[in-house]
Amino acid sequence: MSATVLSVRKLSVFLRDGRAEQTVVDGVSFDLAAGEVLALVGESGCGKSKTAEAIMGLLPSGLARLEADEIRLGDVNLARLGAEAMRRVRGRDLSMVFQEPMTALDPVFRVGNQLTTPFRRHRGQSRRDASNSAEAMLRRLGMPDPDRVMRRYPHELSGGMRQRVLLAMAMACRPQVLIADEPTTALDVTTQAQVLEDLVRLGQEAGTAVLLITHDLGVVAHYADRALVMQRGRIVEEAGVGDLFRAPTHDYSRALIAAARGLSG
Amino acid sequence: MNGRVETWSRLKGDPAGVAGLLIVGVFLLLAAGVWAGVLGQGWADASGGRWESPGAEHWFGTNVLGQDIFERSVYSVRTAFEIGLVVAVLSTLLGAALGALSGWYARTWVDGTVMWLKGVLDAIPFYLFVAAVAYALQGRPWAMHLAMVATFWTTTGRLVRAEVLKLRGQDFVRAARTIGLSDARILLRHVLPNTSHILLVQGTLALVAAIKTEVILSFLGLGVQDGVSWGLMLAESTQEVPAGHFANFAAASGMLFALLMGFNLLADALQDAMDPRQASL
Repeated sequence: MSATVLSVRKLSVFLRDGRAEQTVVDGVSFDLAAGEVLALVGESGCGKSKTAEAIMGLLPSGLARLEADEIRLGDVNLARLGAEAMRRVRGRDLSMVFQEPMTALDPVFRVGNQLTTPFRRHRGQSRRDASNSAEAMLRRLGMPDPDRVMRRYPHELSGGMRQRVLLAMAMACRPQVLIADEPTTALDVTTQAQVLEDLVRLGQEAGTAVLLITHDLGVVAHYADRALVMQRGRIVEEAGVGDLFRAPTHDYSRALIAAARGLSG
Repeated sequence: MNGRVETWSRLKGDPAGVAGLLIVGVFLLLAAGVWAGVLGQGWADASGGRWESPGAEHWFGTNVLGQDIFERSVYSVRTAFEIGLVVAVLSTLLGAALGALSGWYARTWVDGTVMWLKGVLDAIPFYLFVAAVAYALQGRPWAMHLAMVATFWTTTGRLVRAEVLKLRGQDFVRAARTIGLSDARILLRHVLPNTSHILLVQGTLALVAAIKTEVILSFLGLGVQDGVSWGLMLAESTQEVPAGHFANFAAASGMLFALLMGFNLLADALQDAMDPRQASL
C-alpha cells in the first residue's frame, strides 16, 4: 500500500441551531493513500458534504464549528492552519469538484479565463503559459477542440463539458487530494460514466488521491477502491469495495445495498 | 458567438432601441459640438431684438433680452450631459461599492451601517434634500452634483446588495474559494462583474434622473449658476408665456423631452440585450 497523503483523526463538525449546537459530523477518522479512490457513501444529510467542507476549510464561519485532533495533508496539519496559509493549500494541494456543473462556473467570463486562474495563481505562470497549460489539460481530458472550448462562455457548454472543465481546473496543479462531492449526480448516465472515468484516470496519472462522495452504490462498485459508509455523522463501516458488497458487516450498509439492488431491479 | 456582437445584433433588432440610440446619438453630437467650440457659442450674446420670431437668422427666435434661443438650447445640451455623466458615474460607483460591501458582509456592522445610511437618506423627500444641500452650499458649482450623488446611490446600492447576497452563495463563488482565491479577489473579479447588468441600467437611469433634476433645480434657481440650462430657460419663460411668447418654453421642454425619451428607450433595449442570462443558447 502506498503512502498516506491525507489522514483525518476525530473530525467533528457542529452546526449552530439557535442557541444549541447540533453535531453533524461526529468523530470521523480515516486515511487516504496516494492514487487511491475512496468512496464516502451514505444518505442525504448524513454529513458527507460537511466532512468535505471541513477538510477544505470552507465551512460557513459563524454557522459551523470544527473540532479535529488532526487533518494532516502531507506534512501539514490543516486543522491548525491560518486562513491565509489555507488559501495557498486550496487549489494547489487540495481541490474540489462540486455536484452542480451548471452553476460552478462564473457566467460572465469565458471558460479560458477561468481555467487559467489556478495555473496563474498557484504556479505563477504568465497569461500565455497558463493558456497553453489549460489547453493541454483539456486535451488530456479528451476534448476535441480545446482552443474553441476556451473561447466559449459557460452557458454555451453542456453539463458534461462544464464538469470536465471544472475537473481540469481542480486537477490543474496535480493536487495530492481531490474531493469530488457527488460530481456526476446532475449529469445523465452516459455522461456520468465518461466524467467518472476521466476523473479516475486523471487521478491515477497525477498520483492524486480521490475522495469520492456519492450516494450511488453503482458508482462505488465501479470506480472506488475502498468505501466508508456514513450514517448520522459517524462512519459505521470501512471496507474494501469487494468485501463491502460481498459481506457488509453493518446493518446500515446491508440496508443501503439492499435498497440499491431493489432499485436496479 | 462573441458577447458584444451578440448584444449589438439583438439591440439592432429592436426598433425602440434603435430610435433611442439615434436620439441619444444626435444629442451626443450636439454636446460634442459645444465642447469643441463649434455650436452654441453665442448663447450669451444679446444682439438680437426682443422676442423675435423664429426665422432664418434666429431659428427658434429670441428671448426677452434678445438672446438666440436655438444657441441657448443647444448649449444647454452640454450642461445637461456634464451634470448627468458626472452624477451617473459617481453615484453608480458609490452604489456598487457600498452595495457590494453590505451584501458580502451581510448581517455584520458593515451591512448595518450602510443600510442605516441608506434608510436615512431615503427617508428624506428627495427634492427637499437636494434643494436643501444645494441651498446650503449655494454659489458652489458642485453643490448640485454632491446632493445628487449623495442620494442617487441608494437604489443602486440596494439592488447590488441583493444581487451580491444571491451570488455569494452560488457554486461558482464556492468554486473560486476551492482554488484558493481571496475574498477581495472573488468580490472584485467574480461577484461585481456579475452585477454589471444592474450597474449599466442603474447608471443610465441615474443619468436621466440627474439631467431631469438639474433642470428642476436650475428652474428653482438652485442649479446652474454661470451658464445656461433648460431649467433657466423655463424659468425665463414663466414671464414670457403669459405674454404669448412660447419659443423659450417650447425649445427647452421639447429638447428635454426628446433627450429623456431617447435615454429611456435605449436603457430598456440595452437591458434586454445585455443581460448575460438572456443570451441565446
